[in-house]
Amino acid sequence: MKYYLKLGFILFVFCAIASGILAYINTLTAPVIAERKAREEEETRNSLIPNADFEQKVTDQGMIYYVAKDPAKDELLGYTFIAADVGYSSTVQTMVGVDPEFEVLGIQVVDQAETPGLGANCTSPSFASQFSGMSINDLYVDKDGGEVASLSGATITSRCITNSLRESILDVQDEDQIGGEQ
Amino acid sequence: MTFIKELTKGLIKDNPIFVLVLGLCPTLAVTTSVINALGMGSAATFVLLCSNIIISMIKGITPSKIRIPVYIVVIASFVTIVDMVMAAYLPDLHKSLGLFIPLIVVNCIILGRAEAFASKNNVIMSIADAIGMGLGFTLSLTLIATFREILGAGTWLGMRVTPMSYDPMLIAILAPGAFITLGFLMALMNMIKEKK
Repeated sequence: MKYYLKLGFILFVFCAIASGILAYINTLTAPVIAERKAREEEETRNSLIPNADFEQKVTDQGMIYYVAKDPAKDELLGYTFIAADVGYSSTVQTMVGVDPEFEVLGIQVVDQAETPGLGANCTSPSFASQFSGMSINDLYVDKDGGEVASLSGATITSRCITNSLRESILDVQDEDQIGGEQ
Repeated sequence: MTFIKELTKGLIKDNPIFVLVLGLCPTLAVTTSVINALGMGSAATFVLLCSNIIISMIKGITPSKIRIPVYIVVIASFVTIVDMVMAAYLPDLHKSLGLFIPLIVVNCIILGRAEAFASKNNVIMSIADAIGMGLGFTLSLTLIATFREILGAGTWLGMRVTPMSYDPMLIAILAPGAFITLGFLMALMNMIKEKK
């Protein structure tokens, strides 16, 4: 009995040392990682709608979106937000920029863990660039009768991105109309 | 002399994939492209090196009954450290490798070498073993990925190598392609070894 307690204690000491080291490294790296993420998001926003001032807003459902305005003329340039949906093996997050008529200006996949070589190809520029200029009615994959050419071998990922874009554009559109009436 | 022997045995004689048949799960998963294979190989080599050093250092104070949980704590800690440090300071590398880092914890090459080698040998030999095994793992992954990427996507390291008229065989990139390629390469390896 005493022997097994001793074994448990030794294992506890090893785990305590390991978690101490991990906690220390986490305090060093966590702020750097958070800052880098925020900066990357801002860069992505700026690349989707260049030369704009962004104002953060939240929909009733708690979705965060940004209203882009031309700083010189106070003119509405569009909206950016992150659309997310469950794909084949992960949640795929896509940042999208739309113009005031809700036509897609551009998209960029910001976070995914899909199958390497298949679904993970959704980050490639050749897949992302086809979305530019599409409106809500085009946002279906080709197998569902839409305009989006799916990635070969990764229909689920393509469909997940396309559907999440369409739904979140609709959400923001609804929100915008309510906001406009008030 | 033995140092050199430990360093080179991982390449052919005790190749972790083709001879010891360890770490097949990540092998099948990441060999869809050459860049993934290189990334997984180098990240696993780094963790293997660190864990072999620590485990050969603590072998005197680890009771044999709880050695496996202790090894796993050591390995998992290194993997988490690599993950956090890479995410903070090498974001570009982390973007392409991020997916594979958690996979290293369950890579049985690392636990296998800890159990079979580092727990019985001194630090210097364990370093040689880790580097040799890591290189053998990386080269084997790259070899499998070369066949799969060229056949399945028509590219090598992202560059197009086949004529445009070549229609890629999707199966080479999917899971069955991994098994087929691995089987052929293992047979080839056995043929070479038997001739010797």
